[in-house]
Amino acid sequence: MGLLAHQCPWFVAGPMLALLVVGLRWTGNLHLGALGSFVATESWFARPRALPSWRVLFFVGTVLGGLVYALVTGTLRPTFANGAFDQMGLVAGRGLPARAALLLAAGALIGFGARTAGGCTSGHGVCGVAQRSPGSVAATATFVLVAIAVAWLLPIAALGGAP
Amino acid sequence: MSALSRSASVASTGAGRGSNAVKTRLAGLLFGVGFGFWLCWTRFTSYDVILGGLRFQQLYLWLMFGSAVVTAAIGLQVLRSLGARTWLDGVSVDWSTTSIRRAHLVGSAMFGVGWAVAGTCPGPAAAQIGQGHMAGLFTAAGIFAGVALQGWVSRRRVTAPVVSPGACAQA
Repeated sequence: MGLLAHQCPWFVAGPMLALLVVGLRWTGNLHLGALGSFVATESWFARPRALPSWRVLFFVGTVLGGLVYALVTGTLRPTFANGAFDQMGLVAGRGLPARAALLLAAGALIGFGARTAGGCTSGHGVCGVAQRSPGSVAATATFVLVAIAVAWLLPIAALGGAP
Repeated sequence: MSALSRSASVASTGAGRGSNAVKTRLAGLLFGVGFGFWLCWTRFTSYDVILGGLRFQQLYLWLMFGSAVVTAAIGLQVLRSLGARTWLDGVSVDWSTTSIRRAHLVGSAMFGVGWAVAGTCPGPAAAQIGQGHMAGLFTAAGIFAGVALQGWVSRRRVTAPVVSPGACAQA
C-alpha cells in the first residue's frame, strides 16, 4: 500500500504501460488508444443502436481505474483544485467558471486536434511509435515539440503561470 | 466507429464470435482499469507533473515514455516474429502502419497546444474523473465536444466535393 501511495518509479511504469500495449495486441490485435475510446464513446452516445464496442468499455475502465486507485490508496477526496493550473494568469482569482472555460477550450483543442491526427499520446505516442508507424512518429514529434514550446511560453506570455 | 470495429471483428473471427465479442469488451474494460490505475500511480493525472515534464523540471515523463516505447517495441516485435496468435480469435498478431499525412502534423499541433494548456491528455482526463480530480470533468467534456465537432466537420468535408467540385483539388 505504501508502494502505491508514491509515484511509481519510471523504470517500472514504462514496462507496465508496455505490458498493457502488448497485452491488448496479444489479446485480440487491439490498439491501445485513449483518444479512440473517447471517439467510440461519443459515437455510441450519438447513435446508441448497437452494443458499445470494446473501446467504450476501455473508456469506462479508465475512469474506473482512477476510482480504484483512489479507493485502494485511501485518497478519494473529490476536489476541483488543479495544482499550478489554478494560478495561471488567465484564470487566477477568477473562480471556477473561468478555470472550467479554459479547460473546456483546451479539451476541445485536444479532441479536435487528436481526432484529426488519428490519435493522442497513447495511441500515436506509445502504441504507434512502438509499432514504428511513420505517421505516428511524425504525429508524436509534432505534439511533443508543440507542447514543450507552449509549456515554456505560457509563463512568458500574457497567459501567465506559476513562477 | 463501434459499427466499424464490430464488422472488422466479424471478418476476422468467424465461428464463435458471439462469445469473443463479449470477451473483447471484457478485455477492454480490464485493460482500461489497468490503464486508469497506472495513470494515477504514475501521477500523470496531475497538472504539475505533466507541466514539470514538458518544462524539463522533472525527467520522469521522458524516462517513462522512452522505456515504455522500447519495451513495447521489443514485446510486439517478439510476438510477431514468433508468429504468435491472439488469445481471443487465434489470428496472427499483427498491426498496420500509416504513412505521414498532413493531418498528422496539423492535428497534432492543435493537440499539443491543448495538452500543454490543460496539462492533461485524453487518458488522464478520464482517469482524473474517477480519481476525484474533478477538473477532469471539464477537460473530458471539452475533448468530447472537440471529437464531435471534428466528426461533424470531416463528414461535411466528405460530402463537400459533391456540392462544390472545386474542393476536389485536395484529393
